[in-house]
Amino acid sequence: MKSWRLFIFVLVALAQLAVPAWCIRMRTQTLGKGRLWKFRTAPVDPVDALRGRYVALAFAAEKVPQAERLPPASVAYAFLKEGSSGFAEIDHLSATAAKGDNVMKVQPGAWWDGSQHVDFPFDKFWLTERVAPAADRAYASSTRAQKQNAYVTVRVLDGDAALEQLYIDNQPLPDYLRTHPQP
Amino acid sequence: MTGPTNHRAIRWLRAQLPGLVAGGVITSDNATAIDRHYREAESRATSFGFVILAVIGSALVGAGIVLLIAHNWDDLSRSTRCLIAFLPLLLAQVMGVFVLSRRDESPAWRESASIFNVAAVGTAIALVSQTYQIQGSLADFLGTWLLLSIPVVYLFRTTFGALAYMVGCAVWMVSRAGWSFNRPGQMFFWILLLLIAPFCVRVSLRERNGWRFRTLSIFLMGAAAVGLGVTTEFTGHDLGGVAFAGLCTTVYLAGMRWQEDGPRSLNVLSVLGGLGIAAVAIVLSFEGSWHLRTGSVWNDLTVEKAMGVGVALLFPAMAIGLAGWDALRGKIYYSIVAACLPLLAVTARLIAEVAPVNIRRADNPYAFSAAVLFNVYALALGIELLVRGIRVGSLARANFGLLVVASLALARFFDSDFSFVARGIGFIAVGAGFLLANFFFFRQRMRA
Repeated sequence: MKSWRLFIFVLVALAQLAVPAWCIRMRTQTLGKGRLWKFRTAPVDPVDALRGRYVALAFAAEKVPQAERLPPASVAYAFLKEGSSGFAEIDHLSATAAKGDNVMKVQPGAWWDGSQHVDFPFDKFWLTERVAPAADRAYASSTRAQKQNAYVTVRVLDGDAALEQLYIDNQPLPDYLRTHPQP
Repeated sequence: MTGPTNHRAIRWLRAQLPGLVAGGVITSDNATAIDRHYREAESRATSFGFVILAVIGSALVGAGIVLLIAHNWDDLSRSTRCLIAFLPLLLAQVMGVFVLSRRDESPAWRESASIFNVAAVGTAIALVSQTYQIQGSLADFLGTWLLLSIPVVYLFRTTFGALAYMVGCAVWMVSRAGWSFNRPGQMFFWILLLLIAPFCVRVSLRERNGWRFRTLSIFLMGAAAVGLGVTTEFTGHDLGGVAFAGLCTTVYLAGMRWQEDGPRSLNVLSVLGGLGIAAVAIVLSFEGSWHLRTGSVWNDLTVEKAMGVGVALLFPAMAIGLAGWDALRGKIYYSIVAACLPLLAVTARLIAEVAPVNIRRADNPYAFSAAVLFNVYALALGIELLVRGIRVGSLARANFGLLVVASLALARFFDSDFSFVARGIGFIAVGAGFLLANFFFFRQRMRA
């Protein structure tokens, strides 16, 4: 009785270790081999911006002109292209899986005014406890309608998207916070 | 030994034993047997207290480790932080192996080890996600956590782990549904909940009158109610009333089938089901409960929504099947009026469905008829519960019947156009009923 319980527990323990280990492996692969894309962030309600120790992100590119709504599904595939300003845009959406360094899984949302809205697989930028409040203030002031100078860099590979860094005024967030101390 | 234990009385009795032996009232063998019996009862109670303390202790230690690591130390590299994230999990797993091999008979060790393991799994996933900026919804995170934790519930036979799992299922469902209730994948909730069912059945077969079964039943019904509420909203076909009528009646009938302590005391399932039946009857007596959506089309269901409709209708079907099966065998041990709730709900729903599409959302004669049906039903239910309570001499059950009638009167006080005089007379009648019934009860008891 005890021995089979122990045996199953060892299997369960391996599975418990394997899940986070698999996440690390996937992410390391995408960060190492994926293509770098820049996504300009959109204004975000400052009240909701910081929940815990992360900055909530919103993106201007989370919609694509499309005549019809995507069929309801949990996942769609966004084919990315580089816009004239150097920032990533969605070229088109597909319901079928595809590979490549320009394909990213997204979650289909609502459709209105001839545009299909989607949710990117990254909407939080995790921060250390120490810099979180300052980062929130800096990000909120950089994404106001008149002054949109924040973006994130994302590595994309075969549908997976790995958030790399949040930039404000073309500086990585830690550098920006060092050069622009927040009140 | 079942029922609550009076520890002060036990200590007093054990202290009296030498005197009773010396006085020749009982033999020394009798005294030894009585002493052994009550010593075991006391040790069981001590063991339960130790389990609670051990669970609280391990939960606090787990939470402390989470907070320390979640600080996200600035000075540590990404890979070092990840290694640290795995440490509590490895520690919990080593503890798990130790408990299963050396302390398997101790509920306190099993509960502590399992709580620590479940917390460590969540911590490891969360911290790795945070360190590598791995995104994903709360539902994705919870789903993975629940699936990695459910084997621990069975391997360690942990009641607190099972309770946490059921709460997790309910939170997963609400998080998965989102504000629109329209996201796909919600039906996976029922598979998650079904995974804990064998554990609850196992406990029910071993200690039906114990605290473990009572607590598990309350949490299981709570999780099922949350799931059913979200499911019926997801299907978008106004099946909430029918589904909840089915759930409560199934639980009530299952409880009545397991009745073992005679007609005067009810088990936890009968009580939960009975309370649910009364609540559903009162809610469905409001006309607003029968206002239907205008845009729902039955032949345009997605596969997942069709599954949702199936789940919503499964509960009334089970209730009708249970009641019908026992009625065919001539074993009607339940309240017939209570058992009829799903049939009434289906009938009222069909009446409401007849309403022309353009008037379904507002007050209409069909919704009014369905509500009238439930007003009559709730009144009949209250009276039957009252009569059954009087018949078995249960003051609590008789008063519960009166409470149903009073709740119905209160509900109509708010939403009907009766004059103040009519409402006043109604309240006086119900209040007088309470007083009279309790007066007769106490007189009967005094005579007995």
